[in-house]
Amino acid sequence: MTLAAYMHELSMVSNIIDIAIHEAKKRNATSVIEVNLVVGKYSMLGLEQLCYCYDLLIKDTLLKTSKLNIKHEDGKIHCDKCKYKGPIPLKEEPEYHIIFPTLVCPKCGNPAEIISGRDCYIKSLKVKT
Amino acid sequence: MTKIVEHEEDEVFDIELEESILKKNEDFAKKNSELFKTNNIKTIDIMGSIGSGKTSLIEAMVKRLKEKHQIAVLNGDLTTTIDSDRVAKHGVDVIQINTGKECHLDANLISKALEDMELDQLDLIIIENVGNLICPGEFRLGAEQRLVVISVTEGPYMVLKHPFIFMEANVVVINKLDLAEAMNVEFEKLKADVMSINPKAEVIGTSCRNDKGIIYVIGALNLN
Ligand SMILES: Nc1nc2c(ncn2[C@@H]2O[C@H](COP(=O)(O)OP(=O)(O)OP(=O)(O)O)[C@@H](O)[C@H]2O)c(=O)[nH]1
Ligand SMILES: [Mg+2]
Ligand SMILES: [Zn+2]
Repeated sequence: MTLAAYMHELSMVSNIIDIAIHEAKKRNATSVIEVNLVVGKYSMLGLEQLCYCYDLLIKDTLLKTSKLNIKHEDGKIHCDKCKYKGPIPLKEEPEYHIIFPTLVCPKCGNPAEIISGRDCYIKSLKVKT
Repeated sequence: MTKIVEHEEDEVFDIELEESILKKNEDFAKKNSELFKTNNIKTIDIMGSIGSGKTSLIEAMVKRLKEKHQIAVLNGDLTTTIDSDRVAKHGVDVIQINTGKECHLDANLISKALEDMELDQLDLIIIENVGNLICPGEFRLGAEQRLVVISVTEGPYMVLKHPFIFMEANVVVINKLDLAEAMNVEFEKLKADVMSINPKAEVIGTSCRNDKGIIYVIGALNLN
């Protein structure tokens, strides 16, 4: 694990905790019990690093006894031209045999856009008042 | 009158959020983007691997553009001012943004830097992001265009191994072509790799050392 990758999770987790504390305080909660996180398959976040950073950063916060639940979300693209909507297509490079994702629409060949799978969001929180 | 103090049961409840953890950044990016638009400033976020030639490319571009444009360069670096000093030599405004331990610039840092700038005096802002092919792609800064610089010295797999940052870019520069033969890396192959990930990207080969290809980068960015 490179230092850069590790720092990345650290700043993401600190965002998660900030959002959770903000929401909990808004509702006068005394503690957060559960954080339900959805992580895109194609986000750059490593699960192990996420959990590690989470345990590190929740100390002395409203989240200190909380549980982090992580659900994966598949990547999807949308093609504006032919209206195709489906999984991010994967291609194999013939020479090095590397499999990589592509924005080329599998139906019509036009450039498509990623609509899910890159983001990470808090789906819900369970809090106690 | 008796006052009853009731023991309140702990109440547990769910909060539905659906809030992206990047939302705060996206909000700042939108704000920056609007600020650039109202001031008629073109902006370019230059991302790329460590040492691929981001600062060299900025120097070469600034040399050619400074007569025609009012330029400021924002330089994101972990701690040092080496890159800022190199660009400042060319006589344009340079603002150093120390990211400390962060692996990327974020829109909030840019927004803070913009507070101290005289935006009405500028028409082009070039931002050098932190050298890294992973994180900067996820953090939009509000720049109108995004450019990724890689170089042939990083070997033939660089593009396919980091596909997502190339999806974010509208211009991709493959630098250090003077070393391509020695490295046994083909520009055309790297270009094809980028195009198969992101068919909309414009791919340009450069050698900043020999000042080659820079005008095509400038053209691709519509800065003529
Ligand atoms: N041979 C060759 N060397 C180059 C070229 N462009 C840049 N370099 C050299 O590569 C090294 C790194 O260049 P920089 O411009 O500092 O790269 P950078 O991406 O800004 O680096 P960081 O900001 O540290 O990530 C320097 O020694 C440059 O002189 C090129 O086209 N050919
Ligand atoms: Mg640099
Ligand atoms: Zn299509």
